[in-house]
Amino acid sequence: MATTTAPHSAADLVARSLRQRGRDLRGTALSFVLLVALLTSLGILLTLIADVVSGGIGVLTGRGWSFVSEPLSPTAAKAGLVQGIFGSLGLTVFVIVVAFPIGLGAAIYLEEYAPDTRLTRLIDANIRNLAGVPSIVYGLLGLAIFVKLADGFTGGRTLVSGGLTLAVLVLPIMIITSAEAIRAVPSGIRQASYGVGATRWETIRHHVLPVALPAILTGTVLTVARAFGESAPLLLAGAVLSSFFASPAGVSLWQQVTEEKYTALPIIVFNWARQPQKEFVELTAAAIIVLLGLLLTVNAAAILLRDRLERR
Amino acid sequence: MKRTSTAKLILGIVAFALVAAACGDGDSTDGPTTTAASPERGASGRIEVSGSSTVEPITALVAEDFAAANPGVGISVEGPGTGDGFARFCAGETDVSDASRAIRDSEVEECAANGIPFFELHIATDGLSVLTSPENDAVSCLDFNDLYALLGPESEGFDTWADADAIAAELGAGNAPYPDAPLVVTAPGEESGTYDTFVEFVIEDIAGERGQEEATRADYEASGNDNVIVNGISANPTSLGWVGFAFFAENADVLKAIDIDGGDGCVTPTAETIASFQYPLSRPLFIYVNTDKAAAKPELAAFIDFYLSDGGLASVSEAGYVELPAADIDDTRAAWDGR
Repeated sequence: MATTTAPHSAADLVARSLRQRGRDLRGTALSFVLLVALLTSLGILLTLIADVVSGGIGVLTGRGWSFVSEPLSPTAAKAGLVQGIFGSLGLTVFVIVVAFPIGLGAAIYLEEYAPDTRLTRLIDANIRNLAGVPSIVYGLLGLAIFVKLADGFTGGRTLVSGGLTLAVLVLPIMIITSAEAIRAVPSGIRQASYGVGATRWETIRHHVLPVALPAILTGTVLTVARAFGESAPLLLAGAVLSSFFASPAGVSLWQQVTEEKYTALPIIVFNWARQPQKEFVELTAAAIIVLLGLLLTVNAAAILLRDRLERR
Repeated sequence: MKRTSTAKLILGIVAFALVAAACGDGDSTDGPTTTAASPERGASGRIEVSGSSTVEPITALVAEDFAAANPGVGISVEGPGTGDGFARFCAGETDVSDASRAIRDSEVEECAANGIPFFELHIATDGLSVLTSPENDAVSCLDFNDLYALLGPESEGFDTWADADAIAAELGAGNAPYPDAPLVVTAPGEESGTYDTFVEFVIEDIAGERGQEEATRADYEASGNDNVIVNGISANPTSLGWVGFAFFAENADVLKAIDIDGGDGCVTPTAETIASFQYPLSRPLFIYVNTDKAAAKPELAAFIDFYLSDGGLASVSEAGYVELPAADIDDTRAAWDGR
């Protein structure tokens, strides 16, 4: 429009918008473009979900619970997901139990304790770089350290190795999101706390963390979701890419985790997608539905937890 | 007030972890461990199998039946590929290695260097199927010279079948000239044993004579997923590509297998022609067993016994491959008994 080069005083702007009521062409065009962008991304997502659901729903309704409760089998009609579900949930527990406290601790130290020196900034920049390292590299690390070097502790190709690998993989993201949440806490809250004589630890524990917690948990939810969908690092860190594996009868949960082989849902999806039998095409779609459902459940649980804390 | 918030956080995390662990516990007792240790269960111990993804379905079927009869045995069957399988086998990590080709000299040396004695058991036969779309009426048979002209290193950049006419004429290929139709190639990538076999059977000799690289053309749609290859071939009316026989047999309604002329006339890939090796692209499938471990681990010996029984070998056709003729089965069993 012709008036764009004119100086924009507030009065000018108001006067113009009143004169041109309903004729904000650029604004309308922009909102249309933005809507198209939104619809495109939504459309892709919906197409994907519709494709997967239409391909896999037959298996879920036809097989029912047995599809989730049966172990892997090379026979499509018998193949189930229980080992993958056990593995994926187990890996999630590892990620939360290992990466959450370490990540949060590192973030608190970086934000609240570490002096703002060149070294601190270097470490900070490095953590950001680590978050961008391809996951397969962490898989190699997991193979070299957890599977091979520390196999006396992890048991080799076990859930422990996979869980630790994923925990290390998400640690940088955990630190970054937690640190940003802590940084976002207004400094007035800290100063007020110091003002009434609280120590640094009391300030962090009673004032900074409670305010930062919802954002920290949001970061944790995203982190867990990331770990849940990873397959490449697990392939290297010993997850079984297989149509069939079985643990000896009668092993305890402890042995199952520390001694036995494991797999995860994304690995099963990958494996089924390359089988020759057509039935496995449907099974693959059904497994993706279960994977998405489980991921939503885990996320929903974390979000509920966060909301409870927020409402406190 | 503020105290409770921290406590709640920790409590929440622990509860979450416990719930997840409890779910896992329930799952695992529902699953493989329901058949709790019975007093007179069969063998116990662990068996690890790795190797070819082509052979994996056969071994997995055998393993499933074996595990059902021997709940005390933990067994895993993986299929990362023949080469990867031998790497782990020769490092002593696995008991059995599935293979869609015979072990290479370099791999034999690797095993020897690590003191891993092994023996080879021929358990089934596969035929590389050269495929096109059922709509492609113009092509029904190709010989090795044709395949070299269309897929060899010198065919790089050919967009139509007719582009290969010149090389075909040079080689004296039996089925040229080809139709003037788009040539769309979808086939396994270089990491695959199926690719290796194709190069070895079809390309190697001719490329050697002509001083060319022993490889296929590089400009084709490559995939490690055979189903992607099947889709690629069936989607185009004048396509060309190759996969293992099991993938053709499962998708025979949307694919057409091209007959192969290995010098004795055109042969259609069928269970019979593959089993008799009359089909020129037939290849044996093997399992390799670690001799020391077979002697030391009764559960491994029991597993191989079961594999080579009639019940075990029935898995071969169940998995879509071609069973051995009776004489070859006897040879394989004799090799195992004479270990």
